[in-house]
Amino acid sequence: MSTFVDVKPTQNLEAFKGVKKVPHEEYYTSGHRTCQGCQSAQIMKLMAKAAGPRTIILGSTGCMYVANTSYYATPWGVPWMHTQLGSAGSSALGTAAALRVQMRKGAMKDEPINVIAFCGDGGGADMGLGAISATMCHPDYNLLILMYDNESYANTDIQISGASPYGVNTSFSTPGKVKRIMNHRWKKNIAPLMLVGHPTVKYVGTTCTSYPLQAMNSVRKALSIGGPTFIHCLNPCTKGWDFDPLLSFEMGELAVNTGIFPLYEVECGKLKLYGKTDQIAKGKFKRLPVRDYLLKQGRFAHFVDEDIEYFQSKIDEMWDKWLVPGIIPLQKEIEADNPPAK
Amino acid sequence: MAQLLAVEIIYRGVFQKTLAKNITRGIVLAAHNEGKLGISFGRYGDAPERNGIPGKSFAIVASDEQTLEAGMAQYEPKQVDVTVVLDDTLCKGTESWAWYGLRPVNSALKPGRTLIVISLQDAPTLLKNIHRREQPYKLGIVKGIASFSGMWVFKDDHTDVRVLGTIAKALPELFGLASVEKFINEKLKSSLKVTSARTAFERFSAVDVKPGQGNPEELFKFDLPGWGAMRSGVSIKGQPQGGPYADPVTKELGGFRPARNELFKKYSTRIMRPVVNFATCTKCTLCWLNCPDASFDVTPDGTYDANLEACCGCGICEAVCPVKDCIRMVNESEFHDNNSQWVEFKKDKGAYLKSLEATIQKAEPIEKRTHGFRYRGQYQEQVPAALEIANKG
Repeated sequence: MSTFVDVKPTQNLEAFKGVKKVPHEEYYTSGHRTCQGCQSAQIMKLMAKAAGPRTIILGSTGCMYVANTSYYATPWGVPWMHTQLGSAGSSALGTAAALRVQMRKGAMKDEPINVIAFCGDGGGADMGLGAISATMCHPDYNLLILMYDNESYANTDIQISGASPYGVNTSFSTPGKVKRIMNHRWKKNIAPLMLVGHPTVKYVGTTCTSYPLQAMNSVRKALSIGGPTFIHCLNPCTKGWDFDPLLSFEMGELAVNTGIFPLYEVECGKLKLYGKTDQIAKGKFKRLPVRDYLLKQGRFAHFVDEDIEYFQSKIDEMWDKWLVPGIIPLQKEIEADNPPAK
Repeated sequence: MAQLLAVEIIYRGVFQKTLAKNITRGIVLAAHNEGKLGISFGRYGDAPERNGIPGKSFAIVASDEQTLEAGMAQYEPKQVDVTVVLDDTLCKGTESWAWYGLRPVNSALKPGRTLIVISLQDAPTLLKNIHRREQPYKLGIVKGIASFSGMWVFKDDHTDVRVLGTIAKALPELFGLASVEKFINEKLKSSLKVTSARTAFERFSAVDVKPGQGNPEELFKFDLPGWGAMRSGVSIKGQPQGGPYADPVTKELGGFRPARNELFKKYSTRIMRPVVNFATCTKCTLCWLNCPDASFDVTPDGTYDANLEACCGCGICEAVCPVKDCIRMVNESEFHDNNSQWVEFKKDKGAYLKSLEATIQKAEPIEKRTHGFRYRGQYQEQVPAALEIANKG
């Protein structure tokens, strides 16, 4: 059992009790250069709304940097600063430490100010992983790192990232006539990496933009618990995943209902599955076939039935064989892995 | 005599990127067949491209190498001989990534040259949206449904070759039909496509547009700050907080309207717009909460009014709305202003609801819409209908 450092949280943000209780104020407003139906912009809006006006947001390079601050204009209504692609972690830690010192020395008013750094899956799961890991090891600074995951380097026209799923079509893994499957890697299991690797972190959660109230409450809980915290948010990307923008909401729900993206939060070491994921784990909800999810996206349009079956078998394995189903990929017995396309 | 000809393709970002690229490539290769030199390229300012955003692709063709180099030295052609608009909703103007405000689709066209629009509408209807200008030009329509596809999947409904055939008619100096046919036979290897190009060539005609004819709307624009007016470092002003606003009838303050970015409006990205029935709205908040663009104003009544300067028409509100026909997405070409629907509703409920009934009849069923990839096999189902329009003209 890990021991948690007792850190006074910046402030206590109560969970929103329902959609009607969500405040009208926007701290990330209209006029950003994102795609139609952009879910990464949606989590920015929800994150800023949940955190409130006394918040400093740091954004590492990615869609949510480029689309939001180009050409002398911005939709942000709270202080925002760009940071390098790999430094979401270090900039958050530095800002939190600087605020504390400035307040202690009386150089600025002592008041609760949230520090949030966001990064894309490229900035978080690939390049910035080391810095985020280092930040998670400093238990006495209050900060939140939110990774918005659109499963590719979407800003630069969809290159493969560590968070891209198996077999996906990207600019770096275009299927050809000889080789159909150009990405043999499985999606990096990033939230469990944070929670297992950094046992003193008090809050690690996954969320998805199709569940806006829950996403906001995750942010509020992460900001109220004290110490460094991490949220992994899945954002269906209408451009890179290649689906009609109006399906953005449905695509997130499908990712959860097929069991591909589990929703859970780990609060001071205690795991809690929620929503449909909880029902899947308890056997109250039968997972939808992954086919429903895959065939709605142009990035999987090259899949043949064998690929879909293989994808399904890996998701089944995740729920039936893993020691902590859906989350920790340890198994008692290992079976042979036979992907259809070599 | 040295000659430089330029063609500009205006398209919907991502959805028509491959199509625009195929057309400009075809232009250069068809011109090659007549011994001319050319190059095709996308507008730098559009990258990285977002879906729905108006983008531009260019082809420049020259009689000799030196003239081509002179053309290539320009960032993008300032004046073009043909402008092709691949989706008629773009006729309302284009607002690119870069710092322009809104630009009319005919702004780069040389006097007397041709604007080609792919549309099922007629010229007078299109001219309600295309902004007026001082020089005359020609407007030609290629009858067809705007061809949308996705990032990774291309809908091959012959739009590319039909546009090439049309350009051969509109600008014979560039290339003739024989060169287009040669290009299709050699590179695309499809006799069906040759027929489509030839039919488009034969059917195409353009009408003259007189100076001052067209949409009189004042364009959305703003002052560009000089570098002396910019703030120190690279800091820019954030958005202020919004607040309540007045009911148009009772003048009472209420609701909430967020402050919005004044320098980028995004409405030229819209292909469809949400049409809201305020009478059946249950105030469930879902459209407002799930809108990534924060484009819903909370009205003093507690209903939600899509701000049509901020809305980019993704359709998520329609997808999440639990009430039947309360929010429907209707093709943008049906509308000619960005006025608040709620204000119209408050002024005259009966008239608004009556016109709403007629408007939502025009909403396409969700499963038949063509804005991006929906399910595997969809494009194969849609291509025959597109080809039928192409053949019947």
